[in-house]
Amino acid sequence: MNNRRSLWIPVLVGALAVLWIIPLVGLLLTSLRPPGDITQGWWRLDNFSLTLDAWRSVWTKYPLAAAFWTSFKLTVLSTLGTMLLAPAAAYAFQFLSFPGRRLILIVIVNAFVLPQQVVIIPLFTLWRDTGLIDSLWSCVIPFVGMSFAWSVFLVKNFLEDFPKELIEAAKVDGCTPLGTFWYVVLPNALTPIAAVGILQFLWCWNSMLLPMLYLRSEVPLTVLLARVAGSFEPNLDQQSVAAIITMAVPLVIFITFQRYFTAGASSRTGGKE
Amino acid sequence: MAEPTTMGIPRDGQEGGRKPSFFGRSEIGAAYVLLLPMLVLFGCAVVYPLIDTILLSFTDLRGMAPGKWIGLRNYTTLFGDSNFRAALSTTIVWTLVVTALSVGIGWGLAIVCSLAPRATLVFRVMFFAAYGVAETVSGFIWLGIFRPNTSGLVNAVLAGIGLDGWTNAWLGNVSTALWCLMAAYAWTQVGLPLMTCFASIQTIPKTLFEAAYIDGARSTSIMRYIVLPLSMPGLRVAIFINLLNALRAFDMIFVLTGGGPVRSTETIGYFMFRESMLQFKLGYGAAATVVLLLAVVVISIPAIIKRTAEAT
Repeated sequence: MNNRRSLWIPVLVGALAVLWIIPLVGLLLTSLRPPGDITQGWWRLDNFSLTLDAWRSVWTKYPLAAAFWTSFKLTVLSTLGTMLLAPAAAYAFQFLSFPGRRLILIVIVNAFVLPQQVVIIPLFTLWRDTGLIDSLWSCVIPFVGMSFAWSVFLVKNFLEDFPKELIEAAKVDGCTPLGTFWYVVLPNALTPIAAVGILQFLWCWNSMLLPMLYLRSEVPLTVLLARVAGSFEPNLDQQSVAAIITMAVPLVIFITFQRYFTAGASSRTGGKE
Repeated sequence: MAEPTTMGIPRDGQEGGRKPSFFGRSEIGAAYVLLLPMLVLFGCAVVYPLIDTILLSFTDLRGMAPGKWIGLRNYTTLFGDSNFRAALSTTIVWTLVVTALSVGIGWGLAIVCSLAPRATLVFRVMFFAAYGVAETVSGFIWLGIFRPNTSGLVNAVLAGIGLDGWTNAWLGNVSTALWCLMAAYAWTQVGLPLMTCFASIQTIPKTLFEAAYIDGARSTSIMRYIVLPLSMPGLRVAIFINLLNALRAFDMIFVLTGGGPVRSTETIGYFMFRESMLQFKLGYGAAATVVLLLAVVVISIPAIIKRTAEAT
């Protein structure tokens, strides 16, 4: 690579990248500038001052803290459920033989193509009839259930390279299949379990459709924001704070662990690392 | 294989010849213990809804009233419904344009970035960040960018460069709303093709470039004969995922336009929501969902074959 080339590329890509995140910069500035100064847009530099007023007042204006707590509960429950059950299933598929193994596996790993629109109507009628509407479980159950389509595949792919000798040694030493899973496989499969957890966390935190349909009194941040965004209220600064709070947690996780996401993407289609 | 014993003495205080207990040595028992919670949840969240959606699409279920079997009538109504036909063509335009835009930009960026992998790391993360933002938040942001008066960024830029005549109520205008929505959605989706294509190119061994360089290949031919073909695996993954994402898109459409103006930005994924959850025509909405499902399955056939082969 000569110098001429290695200079223009970062400059060009950098300029585009800055252009790309202008919407996010605008969001931040809208939240930090007094609303009177930006009626003509957050980019206007006449009267430039920053204030944290919106960051203070938003908590009384919108039930943001409650929504954050709901998002948190919903996401943590769904993430733990997937992190616990997907490795167990992946271990069974990879190392145990039982009738129906092939068929069940094929159905599960291919369910990733299903759009979430498919669950809306049946689960709506089911939750309505069982009284689960407005309970967190009405979202946790589909979040965990739908996640197996990719999470089982991701962990199982990892276990394909798991040393068979360890499994054999455990068997020879008299360890039961369940014991082997708990004492041998689980402690050595933390990487894919972490990857599954991160992907699931992000997906659940960001999802809006199912919580909007099944939850009424307790709603997560995304649903609150969707309501606020459609309200035509003039307090853009407070709305922007709500938007930033909605995206902050997943964005930090996303940027920190961004390597996992490319891996996760390939596991959703069948490519291996 | 015989159970390993130590000199015929039963281990762990077990009686010799004891039948494998359910929680003990039996593989089948253990397998089902491990699988049961997963199977119950998967059945409840995927298998049951899938079957029920298909069954409901043959009924006239509406609101709380019990549905009755009406055969294919929902489907014939559907294809005679001008709103559904419009949603169908919107879906095709939306899916193809969004995928072409996001994959095209992401792929191009990946190739440029691969020429200076280290120097562009931070910038790649910046592009990718938009993919981690909730669609609801992206929708909220783009609502501000497309605002109808000059407090919207697009209009302000147009006015700033002297194109006042072009300012527009972007999302309120039937002829522009869909295009604006596609631009906004593509903005969120570029990160993934960028990352998968970049990862593909990075797996090209350095020796290949060196050999080409020594053989006197120009950078254009290195690009044409090495980088382009070898970025294909990542490109294929990206195209497929972005097609699926576009087909099932909902949140952003809901926040930005709500399907409007006059239902001009309704995809099938949105149409089924409106019919079933706002109009309570559950059976009719289910029929629209089945059409969406068919589209998804058709474009997924190659992926399904590959995944099935790999998983078993």
